[in-house]
Amino acid sequence: MDVAEFRTGLNAWLDEHHDEIKPTYALPGTLDDHIAQMQRAKSILFDAGWMRWGWPERVGGLGGSPMLRTELGAAMAGRGLTDPGLYSLIEVLAPTLIDFAPPALAAEVVPRLLSGAELWCQGFSEPGTGSDLSSLSCRAVPDGDADTATTWVINGQKVWTSLAQYSDRCVLLTRTGPPDSRHRGITAFFVDMDTPGITVAPLEMINGDFEFAEVFFDDVVVPADRMLGELNGGWSVAMSILPYERSSCYWQRLAYLYRRLQMLVDAAPVNERSAETVGNVFLQLHALRARSRLTQYRLAAGETLGPETSIDKVLVATAEQTTYEAVRRLLVGVVETDDGVSGEMWRREYLYSRASTIYGGTVEVQRNIIAQRLLQLGATT
Amino acid sequence: MDATELALMSETVRKALAGAGGAPDDRAATDGILTTFGWLELLEAEPGEAIEIVFTALGATNASATVIDDVVVSASGRAPRADLAVLLPSYAAWQPPGRIADGRVRAAGLASARVEHAEVMLVPCRAGGDLMMVSVPTAALDVAAVRGVDPAAGLQAVSLEIPVADAAALDADAWDAAVALGRRATAHEILGACRAMLTFAVEHALQRMQFGRPVAQFQAVRHRLADALVAVEALDATLHAAAAEATPITAALAKAVAGNTARTVGAHCQQVLAGIGFTTDHPFHRYLKRTLVLDGLFGSADEIVVDLGRGLLETRVVPTLIDL
Repeated sequence: MDVAEFRTGLNAWLDEHHDEIKPTYALPGTLDDHIAQMQRAKSILFDAGWMRWGWPERVGGLGGSPMLRTELGAAMAGRGLTDPGLYSLIEVLAPTLIDFAPPALAAEVVPRLLSGAELWCQGFSEPGTGSDLSSLSCRAVPDGDADTATTWVINGQKVWTSLAQYSDRCVLLTRTGPPDSRHRGITAFFVDMDTPGITVAPLEMINGDFEFAEVFFDDVVVPADRMLGELNGGWSVAMSILPYERSSCYWQRLAYLYRRLQMLVDAAPVNERSAETVGNVFLQLHALRARSRLTQYRLAAGETLGPETSIDKVLVATAEQTTYEAVRRLLVGVVETDDGVSGEMWRREYLYSRASTIYGGTVEVQRNIIAQRLLQLGATT
Repeated sequence: MDATELALMSETVRKALAGAGGAPDDRAATDGILTTFGWLELLEAEPGEAIEIVFTALGATNASATVIDDVVVSASGRAPRADLAVLLPSYAAWQPPGRIADGRVRAAGLASARVEHAEVMLVPCRAGGDLMMVSVPTAALDVAAVRGVDPAAGLQAVSLEIPVADAAALDADAWDAAVALGRRATAHEILGACRAMLTFAVEHALQRMQFGRPVAQFQAVRHRLADALVAVEALDATLHAAAAEATPITAALAKAVAGNTARTVGAHCQQVLAGIGFTTDHPFHRYLKRTLVLDGLFGSADEIVVDLGRGLLETRVVPTLIDL
């Protein structure tokens, strides 16, 4: 299906089914409300077929360009039907299963993620492993010889695991090589979160939400057929997420930021300061949209996305923080002292935006990549 | 024209301009090279590609030409020719530079160096609620070369106050289209200049040794150059968007991004070039100065941003403009 045709059909359908799919909680809603709404919306959209476009038929999809699902996520974020941060976990996790899980497993579980029957989380970061992902130490040991073992035993800790306490499964990176084997000794597993030995301790974020958690693994037994990709091939699993995280997810976040700019424009006083401030946000969102559009065309044309997506990452982080700084600047006191619905919403999002230069690889790491890989400035050590 | 052809043609023009041998402000030579290349024919057939090829090359080589006149003349629905000049809005403005009242035309604005040898200058004017294009013999103009920050740009300050003799209606959409194409052209020129400044700074950072190593190894230096590249690529993308969705607003956005990019790239590259970038021994200063002038043609980044913001607040509608 053609992207423009899909977009037209989708928007008409969403207009028609607005009452059925719109959030039912009282604004601004809690994280529990937002997750329940997302799963309900996914279920409705899966049944109607929209949620299946852009995914391969072997996992219950209807085929077509990944840009179709980008459009769906953007329409949902732009209409306030889901939070793009929560929704983006689909783009981050489903492609991993499709590319690296045994086909039968992918066919069984991916439809459950898409249809809202399940939530999954991503077990990458650790207390000692932030931007430097290849230093992770959560250990997986085979029960017997690595090549013939039927089970693996996992011990260690993850942190900043978004939605861990809500999740049914986890895409987990573990150390299977020697401690200093860096990216060569990492293996990915698909772990059921109700497996004995897993403890989830939610962390309160700066905005009061408990979106992410610490996850502890104590002698957690995982079947060998839950290995994703090759033994010690976990680094390519981790890296495979990048193209979608840096294309579809950003387009969806942009739809959300445009919606926020619209809300700001609706509420801002009409004066020179407002004009300059909203004009500047508009400019940054447009530049990011223009850039992201090209990135997605390259992905759709079969190009391998690489270090140049670090530019998209810096742009999205900057645009998000600029948007919320504009809110604070123009809606005076809303973030700081307004205890009404609008204050609650803007405060939570303003504080959340502080993370946009940190998560998914800090902007400093992106600048290092740009310097070394795109500007060819050489290594630093 | 596909991407390969476009790249090939861009390279040809850039090399021709770089290898001209004359002074970078030898406008007759530059215009001659562009004429030989087939500038006017390409402008008529493929205006978007024509301005991309030619103005990026002008920016990249710091060459000065008068072809911006052709862009405005052509987009406003008239036939461009090498001896026809046009009056551009004043620095940072984009309204028609003239006004007709009581049978007289009064105008003040900027012009390319073409006014020095052209016989006729077109002067876009407001006349009550309408727009008019007035043809004026160049002999009737007050013309003074603008020295300013970049004398090599060849800009002229033009003013006139004479009876209206030869005026034709100018469609408001045609003027908007002229401003839009002018904005895209100058934004391409800024992009070419910014890439050149970044190349200078990267080369310098790799060669300049301090504390026993190239300064390119210091993270503070690397991050400045990385941010410069982010700004350059954002501008490149907005120019793609302005070509794919050729409307006044996408062109306005591209021009505003260009002004901001020039500011970012100029500041970071100058800091990395340090002492040598502060001298006239290094070519950097010419590129920096050219972007300062270009920022003001057809509206500066600051003015456009405020104007766009006023539009958003007036209509209370935030358009997304480009789709997949």
